[in-house]
Order: sequence, then structure tokens, then C-alpha cells
Amino acid sequence: AETYDFLFKFLVIGSAGTGKSCLLHQFIENKFKQDSNHTIGVEFGSRVVNVGGKTVKLQIWDTAGQERFRSVTRSYYRGAAGALLVYDITSRETYNSLAAWLTDARTLASPNIVVILCGNKKDLDPEREVTFLEASRFAQENELMFLETSALTGENVEEAFLKCARTILNKIDSGELDPERMGSGIQYGDISLRQLRQPRSAQAVAPQPCGC
Amino acid sequence: MERAMEQLNRLTRSLRRARTVELPEDNETAVYTLMPMVMADQHRSVSELLSNSKFDVNYAFGRVKRSLLHIAANCGSVECLVLLLKKGANPNYQDISGCTPLHLAARNGQKKCMSKLLEYSADVNICNNEGLTAIHWLAVNGRTELLHDLVQHVTDVDVEDAMGQTALHVACQNGHKTTVQCLLDSGADINRPNVAGATPLYFACSHGQRDTAQILLLRGAKYLPDKNGVTPLDLCVQGGYGQTCEVLIQYHPRLFQTIVQMTQNEDLRENMLRQVLQHLSQQSESQYLKILTGLAEVATTNGHKLLSLSSSYEAQMKSLLRIVRIFCHVFRIGPSSPSNGMDMGYNGNKTPRSQVFKPLELLWHSLDEWLVLIATELMKNKEDSADITSILLKQKGQDQEASCISAFEPPGPGSYERLSTGPGESKPDVLAGKQEASADCQDVISVTANRLSAVIQAFYMCCSCQMPPGMTSPRFIEFVCKHDEVLKCFVNRNPKIIFDHFHFLLECPELMSRFMHIIKAQPFKDRCEWFYEHLHSGQPDSDMVHRPVSENDILLVHRDSIFRSSCEIVSKANCAKLKQGIAVRFHGEEGMGQGVVREWFDILSNEIVNPDYALFTQSADGTTFQPNSNSYVNPDHLNYFRFAGQILGLALNHRQLVNIYFTRSFYKHILGIPVNYQDVASIDPEYAKNLQWILDNDISDLGLELTFSVETDVFGAMEEVPLKPGGGSILVTQNNKAEYVQLVTELRMTRAIQPQINAFLQGFHMFIPPSLIQLFDEYELELLLSGMPEIDVNDWIKNTEYTSGYEREDPVIQWFWEVVEDMTQEERVLLLQFVTGSSRVPHGGFANIMGGSGLQNFTIAAVPYTPNLLPTSSTCINMLKLPEYPSKEILKDRLLVALHCGSYGYTMA
Repeated sequence: AETYDFLFKFLVIGSAGTGKSCLLHQFIENKFKQDSNHTIGVEFGSRVVNVGGKTVKLQIWDTAGQERFRSVTRSYYRGAAGALLVYDITSRETYNSLAAWLTDARTLASPNIVVILCGNKKDLDPEREVTFLEASRFAQENELMFLETSALTGENVEEAFLKCARTILNKIDSGELDPERMGSGIQYGDISLRQLRQPRSAQAVAPQPCGC
Repeated sequence: MERAMEQLNRLTRSLRRARTVELPEDNETAVYTLMPMVMADQHRSVSELLSNSKFDVNYAFGRVKRSLLHIAANCGSVECLVLLLKKGANPNYQDISGCTPLHLAARNGQKKCMSKLLEYSADVNICNNEGLTAIHWLAVNGRTELLHDLVQHVTDVDVEDAMGQTALHVACQNGHKTTVQCLLDSGADINRPNVAGATPLYFACSHGQRDTAQILLLRGAKYLPDKNGVTPLDLCVQGGYGQTCEVLIQYHPRLFQTIVQMTQNEDLRENMLRQVLQHLSQQSESQYLKILTGLAEVATTNGHKLLSLSSSYEAQMKSLLRIVRIFCHVFRIGPSSPSNGMDMGYNGNKTPRSQVFKPLELLWHSLDEWLVLIATELMKNKEDSADITSILLKQKGQDQEASCISAFEPPGPGSYERLSTGPGESKPDVLAGKQEASADCQDVISVTANRLSAVIQAFYMCCSCQMPPGMTSPRFIEFVCKHDEVLKCFVNRNPKIIFDHFHFLLECPELMSRFMHIIKAQPFKDRCEWFYEHLHSGQPDSDMVHRPVSENDILLVHRDSIFRSSCEIVSKANCAKLKQGIAVRFHGEEGMGQGVVREWFDILSNEIVNPDYALFTQSADGTTFQPNSNSYVNPDHLNYFRFAGQILGLALNHRQLVNIYFTRSFYKHILGIPVNYQDVASIDPEYAKNLQWILDNDISDLGLELTFSVETDVFGAMEEVPLKPGGGSILVTQNNKAEYVQLVTELRMTRAIQPQINAFLQGFHMFIPPSLIQLFDEYELELLLSGMPEIDVNDWIKNTEYTSGYEREDPVIQWFWEVVEDMTQEERVLLLQFVTGSSRVPHGGFANIMGGSGLQNFTIAAVPYTPNLLPTSSTCINMLKLPEYPSKEILKDRLLVALHCGSYGYTMA
């Protein structure tokens, strides 16, 4: 059986054709998906990663960007802990709709959702329509993390997912996020048990024998 | 002189005690003389015998090479033990398996022997060949008191056997509480792993030793998996040990979530997991709510995965349905607190109980959105279907490469290959517009229909578990109505979906009617399978085909009053048990099993239509029956009709064919289909023709002087019965003749026998729900109930096996089939009955003949020939034991004699 400390529910959202499925494919398979089609509804992928000494299973829901699936994909938002918000640096149109996507995520998933903005297709720099500076300003204003990625070369793909996961872990450590709360998008894995101290209930009834 | 004296003394002693007091010279003989005395602890005799002999007290004998000291220790012969020790017996002598006398004393709990052995410095640390020490033996059997004394002498309380097991391991496995405490008090290592990495807690959990596990956890045992990653919780769940799981969770609350997650693991047995979750949920209301909420969350995630086209349809579908089944089961059972017994949360989301369904709302919401989306696509599709077709054709070429789904998980055998929705995303601007508008909704439907249907099934299960049995949730009915068009589109494209996922139809007639035309168009065979699958689905252990019937549930009937005694006993029997299995025994006969059951059904079906009871009358053609409108001459007739219904229901339930053919109209009554005037033909063809004539011709000027009434023959006396109030004075005219025909038909075929039909159906429906039988028409029902009327000899030959020396080509076999070919239909039926106990061939022919444990071909076995020997049979295995007759004439003669005399009655062959 798979063992991990935590399970995080992630979303990949953004306009059609920005390369969401390719990012997921690159992250999971470590290669570029050549013959990618429009996603029908929502696709699912998962990978166990190591973040800051903890093993985390990422359960990733890759949503269709097409408008016609919007009502279906929205029904998957609830209880997501993190999201990759993807636009295409060669398409201003996809950048312009970011605000709408972000509102969706924060209202439908959770106001506390950890979002990382990904400017994808970094490899197509000559056709760029959105500058790095402009996007990073948007990210700052909306309290997002930001990276430019390339699903083709794999640049920053791993980083995007890991950065998002790390931020969530930090928020758990600082108490900002409570994994026990319903709909947090976080679950404990089996493995975390082994590192646990004696649970409170047990300590109360069983005074530890003096272990000198 | 002295020697002679002593010799004399010995002689006297020997004579007085009537036995030799001298030990034989050789050790081997001597030891067998001594052994019984040691076992009986006759220490004086032993002492006496040993005093003057040269016997080696350490002499090892027998297969396991034990010394007498072993024997004494084993049997608790403490006096002998001390005697032997004094004589110099070695307390640490090991037998062939490495056991010392101390091991044997420990194993059998011989307290005194143990302390004496220790006094004579027996070594407590010696291991036998398996590495077991005295404390292991004491721990296995839970001899705490002895262990307590012994453990002070032990250098290492954690001494391991060959498998790395300590005394603590074995005590835990066997659940000896005080022993475990004693070992722990003596400093045993509470977390010691054996060679496989299994700790004492692991051992306790593997056998569901709740109390032991509790002691270990209380004393701070760590929760550790073995080297293969199997955890104590895994073991508890595998064994269905709910109480032990409860203890684990008490100390490790997070395991709670793990158990809930385990529902996704297809390797775990569903009933064990269900048992554990059921137990946990019954501990408290809060635990109940927590488990169900957890299960609902897991189900929701799995449902969403199922709706991801890249997942394996087969695996995800099974996983979702398993989780939902468990969820519904736990929900229904509820926590044991009585105050909550009635609160099932029928009233929407008002009660806290129904809050547990909340996480699932996400999934139902997605499902709804999906169906709306597809409905929209269907609309669009209708609008510009021409446009779509051209695009589909264009895309055919690209479909070949569309294997991208396998990227994450290989698609399961049942999953659809995902078809291309268009060219790659990299050039969206070029095609996006066109794509968005038209795409291929065909594809969206074909790749999602199965998955959505499985989620609908889950939705139905969750809706119904909140309802009282037999009621369909209004929410679900509303759901089906809302998505009517999409659902019909699904089943039109792939009718198999009905059988795979739309089980709700069978439980909900109002929904069934919407799909009936599609269902009826499916092959008879598929409907049969669905019928039986659903018929048995509600029963416990429905995966078990043949359950043993307990002695109390055997139906004991009298052969000479079979109809009455069967009726009595069936009406008293437990209906649910009869559904699971029937066993019949005839008074005074030994035989039991499938053959007897079949004979019982056969005799009963003949009795039901026996004219002496006046229950059924023959129709005009003489081969079919229908209820007798005058059956009330038999004052108990309605009881008997109910019984007849029960027998036919039972027969159908157990796939037993009956020997009766009913009229077309009576089959319609069983199915609840209204009869029409044409059905009269099956009772009275001549009369049907007359009715037809009235309908076909203008009756205005014929002067028939018919009124809305009929004369009925009641045992010879004619009575006039009005067809409607005042019918006797209403004339039949050209205008109202259709009404007349309908009313007269109803009277003749329904009203006249309504009480009989009702009583029959009351019995029938005890075993066959009306909604299920609806799947068939009247012709199919006849097939299901009575099988094929003709016996096809070629099919018989084709499906016959030979054994004990016979071959198909043997002359005897050739003769046999020639004789069968020459037989009358009636004789063939007798032969079939002789061998199989049934006079009917099941639907599908001889290939489907059932034996005691499933399909069992007709078999012919050779028996050595002696003059006048008749053939015999074993009906349980459908075997004809045919003597190797020297000629065809003798064969034919003996066979016919056996058939005409020996068809009934059982003795154990």
C-alpha cells in the first residue's frame, strides 16, 4: 500500500489551450504529451512527492478549460487545498480571464486555497504577449505565487507543484490550516502515525514506566 | 547361602505379588516395564525395581528418544520424578525434538514437577529444536502462575524461538491477559519484532485479541507494521475484528481515517470491512456520524475519479459501488442507542443523521451538471446534426492516436477508448470556435454514459437507504424525470446499461414503465439473468450458490397425502428460508437432495391440477389449465390456490420446472397484463370465434336479442349473471358490441375467477416480486415455469456423458439410443424422470440440466450384467446405471420394466 504523511487535493485551472493537461502529464510522467486533446470534463492524476522531509500525495484534478464544461468542472472545486492557475504567455486572452478563474477558485473551493500562478509555454518566448513583470504584479496584488513554466521542456513544472505543496505544509505547521477541519482538502496518511507521539488519551491513563 | 536366601526372598515376593519384581537385564525391555509405573507414579515399585538393577536412568527410548524423567515430568508423576533425579537422572536431557523434562512439565502445567526439576538445577534457558523454551510453553497456554515462578530463573525473558517469537508474542496471539501482564512486569520487550517484523501488538491483532491488544497499548506498545508493510489494523480488518479495531483507534485516533480509506482497497473482503465499520459505528452516535461522513467523502472522491475518463472504468466503478454499499449498510444499521431507532431522516436534511450525506452532494452535483451538459449537447446535436457528421468524419483519422489516456493509469478492460475531441491544444485559436460549438457530443456521450450510469446507481442506493423499504425516494424519481431524455439516450445506445446499473427500475414500477419498451426488446436470456440476479440479490451470502439446509428446515411430507401435508408445512415454513434453499424428505424414506426436491415439485404440479380438488379446469385443447370458477366446492379452495401460487413461485425461485401448462390468459393474470377477447381462444376457441364474428359483422338486423348478461353453468344448474348493473335488460347493439365483448371476456376470464387469481398471486408473490416478473411476456413466463414441452432426442444424445467404462460407440449405448428413439414421448418423459427426478427439460435444453451442485449432464454408467438386473439411477447426479446387456431386446425389456415400475420412491443406493 502507498504510504504518505499527507494527501493534498489540487486543482489545475485556466482557459482552454493553456496547457493544463500537459503540465500535469509532465509532472507525473516526466515527458511532454505530444497529441494532447481538449480535456473532457475533469481528469485525475496523482503523485507522491517529498517536501521538506514529509511525503505528500498530491491528488490532482485537471479541469477542462472549455466553456461548455464549466458547470461540470466547477463542481470539482470544493475542498481543494491548492491550485495551479494557468495562462499561456503567448495569449493575452488567457491572461485576461485570470481574474475570473481566481474568483471561481476562491469562492467555490475555499478562500484559503493556496494558488500558484503559472505562465505556461515559456519555451515560446518570441511569441510572448504577456511580460513576466506584468504577471508578477498581478500575482503580488492577488497574493499568488508565480512561476513561468514550460510543459514542453519541463522547466519549473516540478517546482510549481512542489512550491504549492510546501506552502500548504508551512501553513499546517503554523496552524493557519487545520487538516482536521472538514473540506480542508488535506488528509493524513497512514505513515504519519509512526512519527506520532503517544496520543493524549493514552498518556493520561498510562503513566510511562520510568525508563531509566 | 546368603545369595540363596535372597533368591528365595525374591521368589516369595514375586509369588505374593503375582509378578516378577526383577527388572529385565536389558535397558530396552526394562524401560517398558518401568514406564507404566512412572506414568501412574507408583514410586515404591519403581524404587524397588531400580534398587537392585543396573538400569541406566538416562536411557532414551521410543521414537522421540525420551528418558523416564521426561515421562514423569510429562505426566506429573512427581514422586517418581524425584526418585529418578536422586538416582542421577539428567534434568537437562533433551529428546529428539530438543525438549527437556522441564519443557514437558511446563507444557502440561505440572507445577510440582517443575519446581523439583528446578531444585535439581534444571536449566530454564534451554531451547528445543524450534527454539522454544519453558516460558514459551507456559505463555502459549496462559499458565500465568507457573510463569510467574519460573520467570525469576530466566536470564532473558525475551528469548526468541526460531521465528524470532518471544513468550510475549505467543501469549498475545492466544489472548492470555494475565500472562501478558506477567511477562511485561518481568521486563519483556513490548515492541520486539519477530523475523517478519511482527510485534506482540501485531500478533494480538492478527487473532482479534482485543483485551490483550488493549493491555499492550495501555503500556505504550508502538503501532508498527511488519516488514511487508502489513499493519495491525490491516490484520484486524481482514479478520473482521471490530472490537480490536475499536481499541486500536482509541489509542491511535487517526487510524479511523485509515479504516475509512480501506474501503477503496479491492483486496479486502467487503463483508469483513463492513463488519468492522458496523461495529465501530454502533459504539456512539458521534462515531456513527464520523464514519459515515468519512465514507461519504471517500465515495465522493471515487465517484469523481470514475468520472475522469482516464481512470479505469471497471476498477473505479467497482470501488465506488463497494464504498456506497458499505455506506448504505452502516447507515441503515445505525448506532445501537434505541432512542434513534426511528429517526431515519426521511424528512430531507433536517435531522443530523442525514448530514452524513452532505459530502456526497458534491458528487450528485457533478452528476447533475454532467447530465445537463449532455442534454445541451443532445439539443445542439439535433440542431446541426449534418454539421457534426462532417466533422466526425474528418476526425476519424486522428482517433487512432488518441491513446493519451494511458498516461496516468492504463485503462481497464471495460474502459472505453477515449476518442479524439479535436486537434492538439497548441493551436486553439484556429479551431476553437468550431470546436466549442460542435465538437462531438456523440463522443462525450459514448465515453461517459457507462460512468455516469454507475454514479446514478450509487445515487439511487444512497437515496433508497434513507427510505423505508419498498418506497422509492421522491428525489430520485424527480432526478429520473428531469434527465429522462439523457437516460433514454444512454440505454438506447447501450441497453446493457440497464442490466448493469439501472437496478432501480426493478424496484420502482413508475420508473420501469418509462424503460419497459427498451427492456422488453432485450434478449430473453439477458432478462433471465437479470431476473435471477435481482431475485437473489437481497439474500444474505447471495454469492453462495448452495447453502446447507439445517435439520429443522427440512420439509417432511407424507407421500400418501402429499398435497395436503405439503400445503400445511409450506404455509407454516419461514418464507425467507424457503427462498434460500429447500430440502424435502418423504416420511419413512431416507432420500434427500436435489432429486427428491424435483420429484416433490413434479408430484405437486400433477396434484395441483388433479380434478379431484377442482382447483383447475382443462381448457378446450386438453393440455392447458386455468382456475376453475367453481372451485369453491372445495371449501378450502382459496388456501389451496395460495399454496399453488407458492409452489410455482418457489419452483421459479429455485429454477425448478413444473409439469403444468396454463392457459395464455392465466399467464397474463400472473403478469398483471389485461386480457382481451382473443385470449378466450386459449380456453374456448369456438366461443372466441363467435365473439370475433360479432365484432366483424354488423349485428343491427340479426335479431340476436343478446343482453348484457350471460348464463353460467354452476354444477348443472344455469344461472344468469349480469355483465354490468342492470345488464339483464340492456340490449347489445352495433354501437355497444365492443363493450359487450370486453365485459364478457373479463367475466369469463377474470371476474369469474378473481378470488382464485388473487389467492394464487398472493402465494406466488411471496417468492417472486411482481416488478420482476414483469420483465417477461406470457410466452416467456411459460418457458420459465414449465420448460420445453418436447423432448429433443438429438439434443439429449449430444449432451450425454459416459462413465465407468462406457463410450459413445459401445454397442450397448447404440442400442440404448435406438430404444430411446423408438419410445413414445411419454416413455421418454418417464426415462428422464427416472434418471433426473424431473419430467422436464430446462429452458435451453439438456445442456442446462441441474444436479445437486450446479449443472450436471445426463450420464450413463456401466454396471456388470447379471440376468434380470434392472437399470438404476442416481437422481442427484443425473446418472443412469445401465447394466451391460448382451442384446438390444434384453436392454429394451429391462429398461421399460424399470420405467413403468420404478419411477417413484427413493432408497439409498
